[in-house]
Amino acid sequence: MITLGNYLTVSAMLFTIGFAGVMLRRNIVIILMSLELMLNAANLSLVAFSRFHVDLRTSLPNYNAQVFVFFIITVAAAEVAVGLALIVALYRARRTTHVEDLTTLKF
Amino acid sequence: MSYFDLLRLAWPEASIVLTALVVLAIGLTNRGTRPAITLLAMVGIALAIKNVLRLPHDAILFNGMLVISPLTSLFKIVSLALAFFTVALAQSESSLRHYAEYIAILLLACVGLMLLVGSEELLTIFIGLELLGLSLYVLTAFDKIDIYSAEAGLKYFLFGSTASAFTLFGISLVYGMAGSTSLAVLAQKLSVTNAQPLLAAGIVMTLIGFAFKIAAAPFHLWAPDVYQGAPIPSAAFIASGSKVASFVVLGKILLVGFDSARGSSDWHAMIAGWSPIISLLAAMSILLGNFVALAQTNVRRLLAYSAVAHGGYTLLGLLAGDRDGFSATLFYTTIYALTLLGAFGVIALVRRETGGDDLQNFAGLGQRSPLLAVCMSIFLLSLAGLPPLAGFFGKFYLFSSAFRAGANHGLLWLVALALFGSLISLYYYLIVLKVIFLDERSTTATAPAARPMLVEVATGVLAALVLLFGVDPSGLVARIVAALA
Repeated sequence: MITLGNYLTVSAMLFTIGFAGVMLRRNIVIILMSLELMLNAANLSLVAFSRFHVDLRTSLPNYNAQVFVFFIITVAAAEVAVGLALIVALYRARRTTHVEDLTTLKF
Repeated sequence: MSYFDLLRLAWPEASIVLTALVVLAIGLTNRGTRPAITLLAMVGIALAIKNVLRLPHDAILFNGMLVISPLTSLFKIVSLALAFFTVALAQSESSLRHYAEYIAILLLACVGLMLLVGSEELLTIFIGLELLGLSLYVLTAFDKIDIYSAEAGLKYFLFGSTASAFTLFGISLVYGMAGSTSLAVLAQKLSVTNAQPLLAAGIVMTLIGFAFKIAAAPFHLWAPDVYQGAPIPSAAFIASGSKVASFVVLGKILLVGFDSARGSSDWHAMIAGWSPIISLLAAMSILLGNFVALAQTNVRRLLAYSAVAHGGYTLLGLLAGDRDGFSATLFYTTIYALTLLGAFGVIALVRRETGGDDLQNFAGLGQRSPLLAVCMSIFLLSLAGLPPLAGFFGKFYLFSSAFRAGANHGLLWLVALALFGSLISLYYYLIVLKVIFLDERSTTATAPAARPMLVEVATGVLAALVLLFGVDPSGLVARIVAALA
């Protein structure tokens, strides 16, 4: 039997892996992928909560979060589009996709 | 509830989207000149303001996904007005080569502001945040030839998306614990359940995204780069519009949704909750913002660090937590937005004439164009909080509401810190004024070209507003207090 706790554990792990990727990786494309992982971790926990929140009267799951997930998928797609466009703009100006090279603006 | 009703209630937002599409279409046909597009956008915004005024007094749609109340209407108007002035600043900005696209994205960002302000439901708030954020990332990186602009845009994007991922995960945990995303239902559910670690984690993670938006330390790292690297109208809009809307939403989330998890940040009786976390953010922002601003030589970067400090002051009102405190926060952030928009107007004019926005570019501005120098001093002294300017009353209202809140003046430590911070800030604002009025005119300054009228007029109007709200703040304050009742 897979419980809510199992889903939440997996979701927390995905989120942590994504955040570690954002913090540790140096290539911006990989960072973008890690960001997507963080968003999808939230999706997983939303769907899990939705499934396990059963209304006692109707014995139906609480569908709000499942609708929420569709919105998030759309937002994530938009975010990737903007992110890749920014990477292209940066590459044209600088010939680089590494965060170490983003150092012209500092303190 | 028919779809027709929905359209009627969301008509201000819809009309702005329509304006954006028309602007985009005109830009595609390559016929639109800059003045024509500017005029179109301004008319569209003015019509939207009229539509907001014609909305019903109170309405709630779909569990709070779209809320119409005096408060939301007032701040929709403020957002639209800020967008109006930003369009005025953008008109003469030479670095924007695809002007129609720029204006269209700016209008979409404005829709994001209106969605944020006008909703009391976490899903719509998240959508609003993302619409605003994604538009602002593009606006920041709009000057594709300038290496600073692309870099600033990418940094803003990376920090922003990480923060919004945290917010989203936080929202999912809060939803899981309370079973609803509507703030009103959330408040009700949270007041009966006792504290759980998962809920606490959810609340903290939700707050990270907003701390990022208001550039509270330690989530402020993007602000200096974006203020310095972005095209000036974008930086002005990020500093004004995005901040106002974020404070309105943060206030609603904290004081309505999470009200029962408040805790206390009184120095003699700390209780776990969001209040100690926010007070820590406020204290760090005030100290870090003011001290680092002392070392800056670029005026935009200096304004960015001062923005971090001002974000810290503004949080004091939310910590006070009563109606007075919230209205002080809203008043201060509105005044702050107007002031910063004006300051960016002056910077745009100086940059046009001298080719840069470092401190030395401002040397001799007092002789070159006295009127502009007077406007800049009004803005900077208002930021420093000197009477009779609006910033003075704003700070006074904010600090006094925080001082009175809680038992035994529990927030005294933060108020004292904020006063100390204001004292430090006076020093770096006065340094800018010293350069403007006393330093010799730099030799690099070319002869003043014909100044863009629109920017000058907008800057003048903003300076007049800052002066007016300082002499007589009662009108705006009464309106905000009435809206919160």
